[in-house]
Amino acid sequence: MHSVLIVDDSDINLTLIKALVLKLGECSPVLFDKPLDALEWCRGNVPDLVIVDYMMPDMDGLRFIAAFRALHGRNEIPVLMITANDQKDVRYEALLGGANDFLTKPIDRVEFSARARNMLSLRTGQKFLADRAEHLSALVDERTAEIREREKELIFRISRAAEFRDPETGPHIQRMAHYSRIIAGGLDLPPETQQLILEAAPMHDVGKIGIPDYILLKPGRLTPEEMEVMKGHARLGHELLKDSRSEIMRAGALVAISHHEKYDGSGYPNGLKGGQIPLFGRIVAVADVFDALTSERPYKRAWSLDDACRYLEDGRGKHFDPLCVESLLAGWEQVLEIRQRFRDEEVPPL
Amino acid sequence: MAAMEASRCPDPADHGLSTPFVLDRRSILARLGEDEEIYQVMVDMFVHDVHDNCAALAAALEAGDAVALSREAHTVKGLLAMFSDEAGAAHAFWLEGQAKAGRVAGLAEAVACLQARLRQVAAALGA
Repeated sequence: MHSVLIVDDSDINLTLIKALVLKLGECSPVLFDKPLDALEWCRGNVPDLVIVDYMMPDMDGLRFIAAFRALHGRNEIPVLMITANDQKDVRYEALLGGANDFLTKPIDRVEFSARARNMLSLRTGQKFLADRAEHLSALVDERTAEIREREKELIFRISRAAEFRDPETGPHIQRMAHYSRIIAGGLDLPPETQQLILEAAPMHDVGKIGIPDYILLKPGRLTPEEMEVMKGHARLGHELLKDSRSEIMRAGALVAISHHEKYDGSGYPNGLKGGQIPLFGRIVAVADVFDALTSERPYKRAWSLDDACRYLEDGRGKHFDPLCVESLLAGWEQVLEIRQRFRDEEVPPL
Repeated sequence: MAAMEASRCPDPADHGLSTPFVLDRRSILARLGEDEEIYQVMVDMFVHDVHDNCAALAAALEAGDAVALSREAHTVKGLLAMFSDEAGAAHAFWLEGQAKAGRVAGLAEAVACLQARLRQVAAALGA
């Protein structure tokens, strides 16, 4: 059903045009004898066709069209203007001012029907294109969301693949990722950066995939040579992820190569110091160590929360970025909630 | 000179007003797509409104309101054209132009002519 707005100060013209519009079929006429009232209606309603007289008190048809076109989203709606045969100059002005076509008085039904139908066809085409564009946009959003979900799942599974070769667990990945986000929030990083570190942090140890089993799974203490090989996982992870087209993977590469750096420069692989260490690396270093300390492993018991906090505080400015430690401790309520949510015995769905 | 012109009443013969209105029902119906129902509604409205249209012309003239007189003459022009009264519409067009140009003084006779024409058309339609 098309909504057809008719604006004419003459009752007899309104009646005539209304009757002709109804004869078109599938049309619902909306009548106004005052252009200002019609404009008010247009603020909350979108007609499919406007038929407006030129000569009206208060506001002539030209001014009405200009005001109508100025309303948001009314630029494309077809407008038919009614003029007298002798008003050629008005028709020129109206064309330049946004009228799409004209009707001359006295109104002829055949001419009226043809012009009105043409305008309504134009409007139908506009709506079809708009609907299609909206549909396509929604489809793109949907597909993009699917791809992003798949990317997240892939990252989680890659991370788990590395963790399967290590005593650490799926919940560890979840917890340290969420602790990283808590720290990022405490540092007032933008929400999208907080989300990025949440998604990238799980890849911190992905380079362990490239470490030989005899070293990675060795029950006893590693020799200095073996330790050097083990340290190579930071570079391996970086190599694996660094050239990805995915922003998350690239952030993961940064985390992989920098999460074993220490604030005082005694870390590896590059011995970076303080602000030289990428922020994501400084954040993940705190999150990873805190969770490792507070988790039980086959080879160790879990530290108490107090002991772990003390360890972090003692490591401020040495192992850890002091601001990152403060941010984790400042988000303590959230830390406890994460520990509760991701327990070692269960891996929640993605 | 303009004032002299404004004081003259147009010769009704110039617009054909001296010729009585003859209702051409066929041409009007043809324009309305042979729709008898719409035709009858239009006739009824014209007859019903003729008194108000005449009064509006008179009020604008009496007030010396050139804009209002031009607009009322324009409306009447459309009404008469709707019923195929080309002479009446031409006279209304002339009156509209005079008023638009601000030449209101001396249009009393011309307005009276137009009022008479409106009543004549209404009588023919109502007969």
